[in-house]
Amino acid sequence: MKQILPPGVSAEQFAEALQAFRKVVGEEYVYTGQALSGYADPYSIVADDEAHAASAAVAPANTEQVQDIVRAAGQYGVPLWTVSCGKNFAYGGAAPRMAGTVVLDLKRMNRILEVNEGDGYALVEPGVSYFDLYAHIQAKGCKLWLDVPDPGWGSVIGNALEHGVGYTPYGDHFAMQCGMEVVLANGELVRTGMGAMPGSTTWQLFKYGFGPYLDGLFTQSNFGIVTKMGIWLMPEPPGYRPYMISFQREEDLAQVVDILRPLKVNMVIQNAATIRSLLLVAATNATKSQYYDKPGPVPESILRKIMADQDIGMWNIYGALYGPPPVMDSLWSVIRDSFARVPGVKFYFPQDRNHPNDLLHARAETMRGVPRLSEFSFINWTGGGGHIGFSPVSPIRGAEAMKQYTMVRDRMHEYGFDYMSIFAIGWRELHHVVELLFDRRDPAIKRKADELFRLLVREAAAAGYGEYRTHLSYMDDIAATYGWNDQALMKLNQTIKDALDPRGILAPGKQGIWPARYRGNRT
Amino acid sequence: MNRRLSPAWPTLALLALLAPGMCASVRAAEPLPGKILFERHCAACHAPGPGHAGTERLAQARGAAKAALEQRTDLTPEYIRSVARNGLIEMPPWRLTEIDDAQLDQLVQYLTRPRK
Repeated sequence: MKQILPPGVSAEQFAEALQAFRKVVGEEYVYTGQALSGYADPYSIVADDEAHAASAAVAPANTEQVQDIVRAAGQYGVPLWTVSCGKNFAYGGAAPRMAGTVVLDLKRMNRILEVNEGDGYALVEPGVSYFDLYAHIQAKGCKLWLDVPDPGWGSVIGNALEHGVGYTPYGDHFAMQCGMEVVLANGELVRTGMGAMPGSTTWQLFKYGFGPYLDGLFTQSNFGIVTKMGIWLMPEPPGYRPYMISFQREEDLAQVVDILRPLKVNMVIQNAATIRSLLLVAATNATKSQYYDKPGPVPESILRKIMADQDIGMWNIYGALYGPPPVMDSLWSVIRDSFARVPGVKFYFPQDRNHPNDLLHARAETMRGVPRLSEFSFINWTGGGGHIGFSPVSPIRGAEAMKQYTMVRDRMHEYGFDYMSIFAIGWRELHHVVELLFDRRDPAIKRKADELFRLLVREAAAAGYGEYRTHLSYMDDIAATYGWNDQALMKLNQTIKDALDPRGILAPGKQGIWPARYRGNRT
Repeated sequence: MNRRLSPAWPTLALLALLAPGMCASVRAAEPLPGKILFERHCAACHAPGPGHAGTERLAQARGAAKAALEQRTDLTPEYIRSVARNGLIEMPPWRLTEIDDAQLDQLVQYLTRPRK
């Protein structure tokens, strides 16, 4: 394997840095050469395999080792890219933004430091996955529910820091975060919120502490390395009822979204419910070749056949009720009556869905916080493994949702891709997460997908829609769309970056934020 | 209580010792034999039956007889190691921090165990 060096770092400096890292973590936890295969982005959309190649990886066992590594990296000018569990697939996995960066792999820091049943929270390290925390809670018999994203192997900390979402009432993961411990670029250790007070009894109970609320600075950023974080956990409710509502026509999306908004804002819909497009639902238990073997997107007539075969809608809401049965009964009557206005609507509970692989059965688990990986089945729709998320945010307005849908669908069809998406409903916004599938072995398809993606970013920005999260390859493009007042926000980010990390050690290029040392040759 | 807590953690250590209604600290990873490792790392995608993306994909690509990894008898140690470390089309690779070489050996032993 060809040795890649961090930009601006000599082979001698790099060798000395690795030697320093080995002294900190031990020989066996510094990886180079073939041992780096797991740090490549398996689903990279770019044709250049080395665009996000790591030069080495180092895996500390504890916070003190993170501090020592950061200090050594500063001494030798070696940039570090932090991953927690390294499962941020479709956004880059464990690969760094800048080729030659050393990956700081926190997977070994996997302690569940506390689960407090009475107050409903956990304190964890970055290497703790949703599977780990769920298993721990089950083993201890705590009456607490996790909130999980679709892939359960991800990091509880990493997902919250990336502004990930789940599907219970605690679905906004960063909103449910409380208290961090952070290693700064100079190796100093900081605790945020109430954790700054020695002997505090409320680090995981009250977010804001005293003074500026800094936790957001350490999310989707390169200003520090989060080594511990509190996450609130939902008390197990006395009742739970998952449901599915299907709608038959494309144009129903507008009416459905307008009905959803007041239900969500008034907390009649309690959880982070989703509207899923036909093909995303169908792809969990069928492949494209079963229905259509020609190039290009599945035509309308076949979409109708899939709807009939699988008894699903063009749009499908997956939600759940939580609470005492009388409360759930009341909420359901409002939800059902609200959507009954849509012609052709159908309502389902799990017992109404007979196919063993029906998506509602999987959603029924996810919406009560059981981690799984089953939704990766959608990748099998075309095969080839490659997938990337295009994730613009819109108001919870029917006309806006339709506008986004038609914009993206038309472009995807023009480029020969099927449209599949989730509209995830937040408190005031819709995350429109569009999945773009491609064969990772086919350079021509990857080039096409890359061209399409960049076009979608530009067109969405022109219409006022920004992405909330993106793959490594598009961080600069999307950061540039947040350019109001002559890139004032990026200038502020750069000011913070230069103050906290003057040597430019931490995650160069993360979210488009480059340290001064690497900023010069970028536009 | 985890004995590896550093001296920088007196507050947490006291909380974990004294506060009622708390679950004890544990390490999330301990050495495990091959089957437990399989269940932990592989089963979510490769267990038999519906709802397992890897099993479904293998059934589509290689037929039902080669769908569920634990039921296969044709897997070689070299192949398992290569796929685990490098990934295979839809499957991402596993890093040494997730499954170390000793654990991978245990997984290999489990997946290539003699059958009746």
